[in-house]
Formats: sequence, C-alpha cells, structure tokens
Amino acid sequence: MSLLRRTTPQPSVSDHPSSGAVLEATHLRKYFPLQQVNPFGAARAVHAVEDTSLALYRGRALALVGESGSGKTTVARLLARLDAPSSGALSFEGKAVSAGDLRAYRSHVQLVFQDPFASLNPIHDVYYHLSRPLRMYRHATNAKQVTEQALELLNRVSLTPAEQFLHKYPHELSGGQRQRVAIARALAVRPQVLLADEPVSMLDVSIRLDMLNLMLRLKDEERLAVLFITHDIASARYFAEETLVMYAGQSVEGGPSDEVIQHPKHPYTQLLISAAPDPDRPPTTEAPPARGEIPSLITPPTGCRFHPRCPHAMPVCRERFPRRADLGGGHWTHCFLYGEGTATPATTSE
Amino acid sequence: MTSTTSAAPVLDIQHLSVDYGEGSDAVRAVSDVSLTLRRGEILGLAGESGSGKSTLVFAITQLLRPPAVITGGEALYYPRARDQEQPAGVSSVSRTSTASISAEASPGQPVDILRLPPAALRAFRWNELAIVFQSAMNALNPIMPIGEQIVDVMRAHRPQMNADERKQRAMELLRLVGIAPDRIASYPHELSGGMRQRACIAIALALNPDIIIMDEPTTALDVVVQREILNEVMRLREQFNFTVLFITHDLSLLLEIADRVAIMYAGRIVEQGTQHDLYQRPRHPYSYGLIHSFPSLRGPRQRAIGIPGSPPDLRAVPSGCAFHPRCPFAMPVCTTTLPILLPQSSAEGVSVACHLYDSTSTQEPPTAAEMGAAYEALAKGSQAL
Repeated sequence: MSLLRRTTPQPSVSDHPSSGAVLEATHLRKYFPLQQVNPFGAARAVHAVEDTSLALYRGRALALVGESGSGKTTVARLLARLDAPSSGALSFEGKAVSAGDLRAYRSHVQLVFQDPFASLNPIHDVYYHLSRPLRMYRHATNAKQVTEQALELLNRVSLTPAEQFLHKYPHELSGGQRQRVAIARALAVRPQVLLADEPVSMLDVSIRLDMLNLMLRLKDEERLAVLFITHDIASARYFAEETLVMYAGQSVEGGPSDEVIQHPKHPYTQLLISAAPDPDRPPTTEAPPARGEIPSLITPPTGCRFHPRCPHAMPVCRERFPRRADLGGGHWTHCFLYGEGTATPATTSE
Repeated sequence: MTSTTSAAPVLDIQHLSVDYGEGSDAVRAVSDVSLTLRRGEILGLAGESGSGKSTLVFAITQLLRPPAVITGGEALYYPRARDQEQPAGVSSVSRTSTASISAEASPGQPVDILRLPPAALRAFRWNELAIVFQSAMNALNPIMPIGEQIVDVMRAHRPQMNADERKQRAMELLRLVGIAPDRIASYPHELSGGMRQRACIAIALALNPDIIIMDEPTTALDVVVQREILNEVMRLREQFNFTVLFITHDLSLLLEIADRVAIMYAGRIVEQGTQHDLYQRPRHPYSYGLIHSFPSLRGPRQRAIGIPGSPPDLRAVPSGCAFHPRCPFAMPVCTTTLPILLPQSSAEGVSVACHLYDSTSTQEPPTAAEMGAAYEALAKGSQAL
C-alpha cells in the first residue's frame, strides 16, 4: 500500500556502527510501589518493566512495539531519565549516566510526547517554546541569535514560511503543525538521541505519513538515534531498522524489523501481526485463537507473562521466564519454543 | 461478506445537511449527503476528524443537540416485514406491545426518521436502530451493573416481559457477546476495555434491531482486542442478519471488513463504492491518498507519501472542491465549481465527486500509477520550498 514502487535503501550490515551504541540500556527494571493498604501485608508494586535491554545507534531507529500497558512508555521515560530505574544501567556513549548531571544528559537525549495538544504551553507562542531550550543550553545568547536559530529550526521541520509561524500560539496551529513545533523544540537542544513516544497516533490519518517522513529525513540527515514507540506494527516496519516487541513489561522478541514482522517467532508477535488491519490479508485466514488482554501488572502471571494466553504454553512457561534464544541475523526471542532444548519449535503460521 | 449491491435499501439518507449555529456564523458540518444502507450489508464510512461522519450519525439518530441544526434532507427507514420468524438462538421477544414503528407505516412503506413524532421516535430507537459508541466507559453508567443496564433497555421497550425473563435474556445476551453470564452483576469499572465494548454490543443487540451503527467502536482498544471485537461482530451479523453502518478513520480496517465504503471529506461524500473497487481502483485523489497513507505489513519496504497539507477548517472551507488545495490534479474548475457525486458508468455501484471524471472533461482520468507519481511530484515541490 504505497505510492511509490521505489524501494528505500535497506541499511547494509556495514552501516551498523561497530563503534557501539550512542545510548545503551541494560537489564532495566521499573517497579512503581503502590500505597500500602494493609500495614501487615506484603509491599505491592506495579511491575511495569522487567529486564529490558536495548541499544540505539546513530542514524538508526529502534521501534518499540506493544499494546497499552506493555511498558513501552515507561521505557521511554526511563531512557529520558524522567523516572529512575529500579535496577539496571543506562550508559551514554559508553559512560554510565549519573543522576547528578541530568542537564548534561538531556542535552543529548530529548523526548517527543504523544499528545501535541498537551505538550505545548497554550499561553506561550512558538518563539517562546523554541527560545527556552536554545537559551538554557546556551546555543543562543541574544535575541538575534534566538530568532535566527528558531527560524532555522522551523525550516528544518518544514513549517514554512517560518516567519509566519514564529509568533503563533498553539491554538492557532493544527495537530500536525503542533507536533512539528514539539519536534523543533527537541531539536533545539541539538540532541543525538530522540525518543518519540507515539508521535503520530494523535494526528489525523492523512498527515501521519508526512510526519513519519519528516522524522525519517531528520534521522538520516542529522544522524539522529531514534527510539520510535508505536502500537502500529506496520509503521514500525516503515520507520525503523530494528523492532523490539514488548508484552506486559517483558521484551519478547527483537531484531531487524523485516525479519521480526515477516517471520515472527514468538506466539505474541504472531498474534499481534495476525490482528493488525491488513486489506491484503488472504480471506481464508482464520481468526486468531488467543483471547484476553494484558494481565494486571500488580500480580503478573509467573514465568512468561504471556503463558495464560499462549496456545503453546507448557508447564515450564509458568515457572520461569525463558532465556534469550538467538535465531541468527540479529533476530532473537524469549520463548521456550526456541532454544533451551525443551521442545521442538512451533511451526510459524505462514 | 456477501454481495449486497442489489439488496433492498433499509436506510436511505437523502440530501442531508447539518449546521452548527445559525445565520452567518453557521458552520456546515454535513453538506448534502446522500447515502443508502442496504439490508444485510456492512457499509463503512471513513473520514478524518472533522469530516462530519459522527455528525451524520447523530443526525440520523436524532441525537444532535443545539447548536446543531438539521437544515435539510431526509432519512428514510424501510421497515422490515413483520412476523418474520426470529433467527435461531434468540429467545422469542414479542414485539407487539409498545407503539411500534409499524403502527406508523405498513411494511415496505418508508418513514422519515427526521420527522417522526416523539413517541414513535422512542419506539424506533433501539427497536430498529441501535448504536455502539466509541468510548464504552462513557456510554455505560458507572454506578449500575451491566446486567441492570441491559435489563433497563427491555424494561423501557418490552414492559410485558417479567423480571425473570429479562434477566434470562440479559444472561443470554452476555453469553452471545462472549462474556461469562456470571458477570451480570459486574460494574463497568470491573471489566476490561474490551469487555465493556462487548457489553455495549450486548445492549445494542437486546431488542434484535434491524440496523446497528458502530461509531468508531474499536478506536480506543488495542489491536488484538479490536480484532476479537470485529470477529464477534461479524459472527453475530451472520447469526442475526442485522445491517451495520461502521464508522472509522481507519480505512485499512474498513477495507478488510466492509462490503461497501463511503469516504467523507469536509462534510461531503467524495467517493463510494464496493470495498474491492475502492481498494483496487480508488478514483478520487483523496481516496487514493488516504488508502496509501497506511504503511503496508507486506511486500518490499517502500517509501510512501502522504497527502500534503491538513484537513480544512470547516469555518473556512475552500471554494469549489474542498480538497483542491491539497490535490495534485487541481484544475481551474476545481476552485470554482463544486463537483457532484456521480455514478460511474465504468464500474457498477461506484460514485465519485471529482471533476476528473466529468463527462464533459476532455482528458482521460489518471491511472493509479499517475496518481502516485503526481503525489510524489507534489511532495518534491513542497520540499524544494
């Protein structure tokens, strides 16, 4: 379903930076403690993210795919250090991120939120929104520099003619234009990493693609490392070289986007793809057998959290979370069906 | 999906217009919309926010509140034949007592919903036409168990049923939509999002209506749950043979489930046709752009181009064809003359409102490949600025 028959250049293996990740997270966990109702009861917490590791590379995008409640926004907030992880490490360009100097960290890592109606201050104009990061991070020291750079930023996000947009207020802009201002504000810091939390899901359908194309252009031209959070697996494939699928706080599968989406291995990824709207779907495809929704994260299922819904669940799935099984070509999954030698791999639904 | 292009109409909307406000400040949200819903089909109505699709639904169900005013048109409902045997699986719900719509007209004689007297309108609603709204949490009463809310519908419309019968029917309905009947005493907050939407569908089915309008029923749900609900709707439709008007902004979803699809832009229908025709050969440039605004799950990864610009502000709709500022094929006539939705001789059941397809037009309408190329050229031009 695409306008053009021209294929985008696929990132080659040599494109993969051997120099290492810009931003790397290892074994991140996040528990949000709940208010203690019973003073003698055990402490309760929302187990939002369990043992998630990911790496972002310059000029490449990683898509984080999952349903609501899967922990993908929490991962973005941990990476932006809006929340401190319960355990796990975060390193930027090989150095551990210290809680003491978050301003320096945020000069490299910026976040774009889902809702452009909420993320801009309604009583300030575009100029003010762009001038704040420019001045705070000392990229501009006087009004002339601020104006110059703000205009340049607006041009970069294709808000042209920039002079006309500079003194508009959020209510004078459409949703797409607001999201462009939010992206320009993130770029004003001159970050190396952009964390985009569902940047297009609040926008009108016809302008979503425009916004994705803008972000693709920025990623390529400015060599940004992008974390792209989405619930739409088709736009993950369109936007990102790599995809990571999360379910109820656990990462279940990851690897090159095409590999993960064309040949999903984890039963949850298979379910997610079979449920996605697809006019090209062969009409014979049977309804997916799995039912249910993401479980409570206060008392999550033991072991693999997908086991209550999984058509291939085995006793071992209740006991512990499977180790990572490498499937070759960078594709991996956490599932007992692959590796650990306990069962024969399930045939994937082709 | 059955072929229903020749089935009898069940709801015929003619030249419907709705304004918000009056006088010179009036904003026209729905302009001269004609749409026919045929018995047993799923008609998809697609459009972006502000295209008027929800206003249209609120108008034909008489749910609009001031300042909205219906300024013209009619919505004709063709009652089904009475004494039809109930489909299998439904306990018999007698339809004799309350003021029925059939009292107003004999079967086959259409009635204009927009001009029904209040008592007849009350009887019409839910007996013949039910709605499933987008946000189940807001549609359900938070302080009333779901079973009670189903019973409430029957208490209002079927006073001759006794309490036990109503409860039995409520449990049966819950079972039908895939909720365990022992959840009958659960409050909405005790149910998950998907179960709440199922409960709303159960309420819609309570009186075995002729038409069910689904206004973005799955937009607030995750894809897996959305798929379950859609499968459920398709299954129930097979069983009870109701007609569905399905409204959504997600065209890729509609193309999968609907028999026919109508696309709205700035309050008007710009194209309608069978699901297959529309997907294979979109004729209006807006339809083409909308269909190609969704990245594909299959095939080689390709760069796709969206529609430039943004949807118009209804307070200042562009003159002529409202799409012309965003259209790669805009001609001088598009800025001055409003195109009329005309049936296409080349394909049965397809209508399009676009000057490219005028019979007086000398040039050939563009092919799909030409539309793609034109959008690409437009995108290049705007980036060069």
